[in-house]
Amino acid sequence: MSSPTGCRGAARPRRANLEISQLLIWALIFVVGAINFAARLSFIALFARREMPPLLARALRHVPAAMLTAIVVPAIVFAAPGVLRLDIGNIKLIAALIAGIVAWRWRNTMLTIAVGMVSLWLLQRFVS
Amino acid sequence: MLPMTVGLIPFGIVCGVGAISVGASPVSALAMSMIIFSGAAQIIATQLLAAGAPFAVVVLSCFVVSLRFLMYSAALAPYLKPVNHRWRNLIAFLLTDQAFASSIRRFRESPDLRGSVSYFVGGGVVLWAAWQIATIAGIVAGAVIPASWQLEFVVPLCFLALLAPLLHERAALIVFVTSAVAAIALDAMPMRLSMICAGMAGIAAGVIADRMSGRGATAESEPGN
Repeated sequence: MSSPTGCRGAARPRRANLEISQLLIWALIFVVGAINFAARLSFIALFARREMPPLLARALRHVPAAMLTAIVVPAIVFAAPGVLRLDIGNIKLIAALIAGIVAWRWRNTMLTIAVGMVSLWLLQRFVS
Repeated sequence: MLPMTVGLIPFGIVCGVGAISVGASPVSALAMSMIIFSGAAQIIATQLLAAGAPFAVVVLSCFVVSLRFLMYSAALAPYLKPVNHRWRNLIAFLLTDQAFASSIRRFRESPDLRGSVSYFVGGGVVLWAAWQIATIAGIVAGAVIPASWQLEFVVPLCFLALLAPLLHERAALIVFVTSAVAAIALDAMPMRLSMICAGMAGIAAGVIADRMSGRGATAESEPGN
């Protein structure tokens, strides 16, 4: 990743100039692993006798849609860091719209990925 | 649980590819899948690392994404009170979107708790093993697939596959629009904080939308991912 502000696509750097220390990665594995386990265990063990506050319950219900959107949208609408492309010239946007319709209609992960990737390749080939 | 396992495979492959591409060694890439065992957290961690976000921001972002587990944990808790703590720990470790989605109905409707726990743990172990195998495939594939294939586009597609079906519900649509607008508007924020802030804006919009339509207290809705 050439720019510190871009986070589109994990596979981009291809072992490039970016040297992330192994120590940092291991620290991250254990810290994030612990957080995930704590969240999973929370009500099952620690707060077993407590009711979840209703406002928290209501807020948590919206976590999946909110976070998924916050991850997906920037990856699709920015052609490069800071370059917003909401026109039909953005092939990632078009491919994602096609895949999104497929996902909405058929609720199938494999099908969505297949249609999205094939759309991207075809658009790349014939449009740009 | 079989269809769930199949759906997990591309996601696991992407996690393997992603970890390798940010410079993780094959061993740490696999350790990530074995210990964290959460596609969303793993992908966000690797993306933010690649983007040069500080350690604390990576951890905080992963924390926000893991909040959904509180919801699953709370939904399962009433059924697991008679289960001893060792099994509870195991169940918690194996708790994923897929395991929850395919077993919550069983816990709710079946009087046979032992059977439900076995089903959950058995299915959870299969999902965990499939996750490791897919990660290894990704670690191998990441080294050989050419960049022109744009394999990194599979990441947003995976998330899109989970997101789009949620949008059949009106409240989720409001959450989506708010989060999307915020994610674009806040993109220039430093340290990649835009993801957390956009997510929080979406959650807030959802709570407000619930309140205005006078609904919302029922926590046990469709699992997202």
